[in-house]
Amino acid sequence: MLYQFLGSAIAVALLVALAAWARIARPTPPLDEAAARRILADEYPQVQPTQVWIAADAAAALARAGEAALLLRRHGDGYTARKLPWTDLAAAKVDKGRVTVDIRDIGAPRFTLAWPADAAWPPEAAA
Amino acid sequence: MKSAPDHLIHAAFDPVTLAIPFFVLAVILEVLLGRFGKAKSNYETRDTLTSLTLGLGSTFSGLLTFGVPFAASLWLYQHRLFDIPMTAIWAWVAIFFLEDATYYWFHRIAHERRFWWASHVNHHSSQHYNLSTALRQTWTGGVAGTWALWLPLAFVGFPPAMIAIQKGISLVYQFWIHTETIGRMPRWFEAVFNTPSHHRVHHARNPVYLDRNYAGILIIWDKLFGTFQPELDAERPRYGLVRNLGDFNILRAVFHEWIGIGRDLVRQPRHALGWLFGPPGWSPDGSRETSAQLKAEWAGRHGPTAPPAPSAAPAVEPARP
Ligand SMILES: [Zn+2]
Ligand SMILES: [Zn+2]
Repeated sequence: MLYQFLGSAIAVALLVALAAWARIARPTPPLDEAAARRILADEYPQVQPTQVWIAADAAAALARAGEAALLLRRHGDGYTARKLPWTDLAAAKVDKGRVTVDIRDIGAPRFTLAWPADAAWPPEAAA
Repeated sequence: MKSAPDHLIHAAFDPVTLAIPFFVLAVILEVLLGRFGKAKSNYETRDTLTSLTLGLGSTFSGLLTFGVPFAASLWLYQHRLFDIPMTAIWAWVAIFFLEDATYYWFHRIAHERRFWWASHVNHHSSQHYNLSTALRQTWTGGVAGTWALWLPLAFVGFPPAMIAIQKGISLVYQFWIHTETIGRMPRWFEAVFNTPSHHRVHHARNPVYLDRNYAGILIIWDKLFGTFQPELDAERPRYGLVRNLGDFNILRAVFHEWIGIGRDLVRQPRHALGWLFGPPGWSPDGSRETSAQLKAEWAGRHGPTAPPAPSAAPAVEPARP
């Protein structure tokens, strides 16, 4: 039983090493507004964002559609998105160029965005 | 009460254990095909680690929870209606179809009712679709009790060893279809069997593909019960959950829906039935989205591309108390 477990663990380690060596993850170029809008349109097709902000590391984005906020963040070579009331963004923790938004969702409990320390949070809508 | 010799109770071999070397070699081959650009194959390192760890963990959780299902099937077999011989070809043909039909209904319930979805969701938690994804097997299926669906087979008189072997064969069959390296199989094969193309649809989160293609080995059950959806060239599958997980944490993949159910029950206990047995995404105020709602919105924008599925419709309708 112990040997079986050890053998399996070694096999797992070797396969993961092989996958790392192969470098065949999907490409994830830095997000720009068009890319963020394209991904969000798949995630929330019924929501039409009026404005999109790209995080400082281009790995996350924030969008506004009326009273709703859409958060998008890369993880691995995929993306995770969530919708929440825009007013919830005010409660986010802002610290050292990072914004952490808590979401009441055990599947993705917090979104961290690289956000310049001198930029407003939540961002102001363009006039 | 009828007794039975041991070889009818305990399977002489486990198809899944025997197939493990093949699983490993197939993953290696798929990675190499992707690496050298010979076929479509994407692996992400942490995603792969999560998939393989979930597979390993499920074998251990299976060891912890197999006692009750085993005892239940043994007891029913001792009170069986008929003596079905394990050596007869007709018996293997019969169990092939009966087990596969049972799998279809297990899998359908595992998607259409939240309590059972909670134990199946980790199989769908990857945004990838490769052979390692196949190994994301349930950890909590023993607790969720879906094994009860296989009990009638023992009561009818199929030896528990025979049922276990056929379940294993089905699981091994379903391994190879978790791949993007294979486009379409020959037409006759696609018509009868579950294939990479059919199961890509099952793992996709595009609204048109949600809650479709529950098949194990034979795709005929989906065609019969109105849940079949062919893969569309214009609709490239996007894999994973309707709302994808935020990280690669294996405990999140296994337990997030259970914790979500627990939180909802504590918050609104009077809606317990809906929270537990409504479709995934059900909420009393309709603030979340069910597959049926997502599909209806999609169809509103694009028009239905698949023939309507009358027998499927009532089952996925959100049950509002
Ligand atoms: Zn499934
Ligand atoms: Zn699958």
